[in-house]
Amino acid sequence: MAANPTFDRENSSKVIVIRSILAVLAITATWFLMSAKMPDANIPGRTKVVFWHRWGGEWEVVVKRIVSRFNESQTEYEVVPMFTTGTGSETKFMLSTIGGDPPDVMSMWNGAIPSIASGGLLTDLETLMTPEEKEYFNRVPYQAIRESGQFKGVTYGITIGADLMGYYVNAKHLREVGADPDKPPKTFEELVALGTKLNIKDSSGNIKRMGFNVNELMTQAYAWGPGFYNKESKTLTMNTPSNLAALTALVEQKKGVGFDQAQRFWASQNTGSSTGAWPFIPGAVSIAYDGQWRVEEIRKYNPGMDYRVWPLIPPKDGKPYAGSLGGNFMIIPTSAKQKKGAFEFVKFWSGLTHPERAAEFYCWGGWLPLSPDVANSPKYQEYLRTNPQFKTFVDTLGGDNCHPYPNVGFLQYYLDQVNRAEDQSSRGSVTPKQALINLDQTVNDELRKRKELGFED
Amino acid sequence: MMLFQDELFWKSLWVTIRYALVSVPIVLVVGVLLALLLNINVKGIAIFRTIFYLPSIVPMVATTSIFMWILNPQVGLVNRVLALFHIDGPGWLTDPKWTLWSLVFMAIWGAGGSMVIYLAGLKDIPQYLYEAATLDGAGVIKKTRMITLPMLTPVIFFNLVMGVIGTFQYFTQAFMISKGSGGPEDSTLFYALYMFQRSWKYMDMGYGSAMAWALFVIIVILTFLIFQSQKRWVHYGG
Repeated sequence: MAANPTFDRENSSKVIVIRSILAVLAITATWFLMSAKMPDANIPGRTKVVFWHRWGGEWEVVVKRIVSRFNESQTEYEVVPMFTTGTGSETKFMLSTIGGDPPDVMSMWNGAIPSIASGGLLTDLETLMTPEEKEYFNRVPYQAIRESGQFKGVTYGITIGADLMGYYVNAKHLREVGADPDKPPKTFEELVALGTKLNIKDSSGNIKRMGFNVNELMTQAYAWGPGFYNKESKTLTMNTPSNLAALTALVEQKKGVGFDQAQRFWASQNTGSSTGAWPFIPGAVSIAYDGQWRVEEIRKYNPGMDYRVWPLIPPKDGKPYAGSLGGNFMIIPTSAKQKKGAFEFVKFWSGLTHPERAAEFYCWGGWLPLSPDVANSPKYQEYLRTNPQFKTFVDTLGGDNCHPYPNVGFLQYYLDQVNRAEDQSSRGSVTPKQALINLDQTVNDELRKRKELGFED
Repeated sequence: MMLFQDELFWKSLWVTIRYALVSVPIVLVVGVLLALLLNINVKGIAIFRTIFYLPSIVPMVATTSIFMWILNPQVGLVNRVLALFHIDGPGWLTDPKWTLWSLVFMAIWGAGGSMVIYLAGLKDIPQYLYEAATLDGAGVIKKTRMITLPMLTPVIFFNLVMGVIGTFQYFTQAFMISKGSGGPEDSTLFYALYMFQRSWKYMDMGYGSAMAWALFVIIVILTFLIFQSQKRWVHYGG
């Protein structure tokens, strides 16, 4: 058969086009894979330590500053920081660890530590300590902070920025209703009554200014009693009289404001963290329940704001300065390539060694200190003098009623179920009593299943 | 076995089935109606088709973000418009009674995607069938009922199968509006979202895998049933 020149020419053009497309795809894929690899060390002769953190935006500047300080202090290691978004950071950590290319060190929300540790993916940090460091670690740091990084008695995380909650009070608003911002209410009931006075609604009943609104039963319960975990017996305590009293108080407070109106109000506000649009700053909320990091935000976005920070207000005969401690903790995966270098960095930042040096880093970020040694250092004391409202959180941290989150492998599930009970009873779908009964049943069912599968002791 | 004893497993399955029962038929009908309208030869029809198709190619995350503001109970566009008529709009995304309908509303917004497929199906219907019907004295409604819809059933069948499978993989919108919790009161706890929570939030990969297998079986059974039903209502004539 004779060859068809026209057909051959067309066919040849098609082949060229297809080959060109494949070449472009191959170049793109190669470039993508090359750019996706871990960052390189910049200083010749140094061993690279990859550090994943979850601080974006202006917080990242602080992180980079601390990393630079560490690198300047070193002759052996260079820490290379890499930002990973907070959402799904556990997932990224797990996948990288399972995939064999984990970071050497990562800052992780302490609530995720039990579930990751129970999977055997985290290094016992005490194995990296010298005997002196171990003794210091078990003696000096705040108890709540130390225990927050532990799971089943093993230390998997060391804090570099713990979080506590308190009440931010707009002093001007309080004076408008004849209250003294320097005299916090003595009981939760008084606080609720004050909040009611501070509410402002429009003609349609919509809340224009929220006087006071509170949530987080898990944390609030510590102001009423032992809360949702018994540390001594290592058991979960849900349907207890003090938890019921706490939940009832929260539900009644929400009823007083109007649950639907409150939902509408919050839906219209920007409640995201790390933002100057936090509703307390423009005065949309008079008494806001929030974390210590807001002190730094107020300093940046509204430095002249007249405000106070009160600790959690307990009910009559309740527990003052209560709190449950969360925040960022440094973890080192079991498969990390540079565990020693990673731990050097952890010690440097946390203040496990040279607490007075680390105090400066805590001041840069407006973070709660690891230990009284950091808190009592001249730099940190200076920070407290210039940011007096921050002291409330430090006082809470040093008190007897500040607790770590329950030490269970399925902590996130437990927290979600407690929030679910609070939400259902706040909406009036179930009574507080029934919500706690349901919670007890659901969580114990889960616990039983996990025990059957060998996940829990 | 543990899966079947889990209250939230059944709840998430019910949320998904309920959404499928409501949204799939509505989106299907809206898609067909839009296609019928946009099949009429009027000036600028290509522009109208583009306008109706555009929402379906907007990334789901962007669409959901916009809807979260449109449906905001206090400052949202929908409730502002309702307020003009002295209607106190509900908490579309904060009241469990209304979340399903809000999500259906969002699904209708994306009906343009299936509309294009219906439109292609309409173009494929032989013209001589309409000419014969016209000679027999059939009107527009009769032609639609006796020719257009029966001839379109293979396309409807395709969209039905894809729609049902899609609802069982429904995730992004539910994740965004509930910030991953499945709230309010589990009303957006779709199957895929609960599977995600179990796998990646609670790090319970075994449980998540079991749920994925159960999802696979459910989708296979439903697809099989829809395929079985096609003998009764899908016409491959023409």
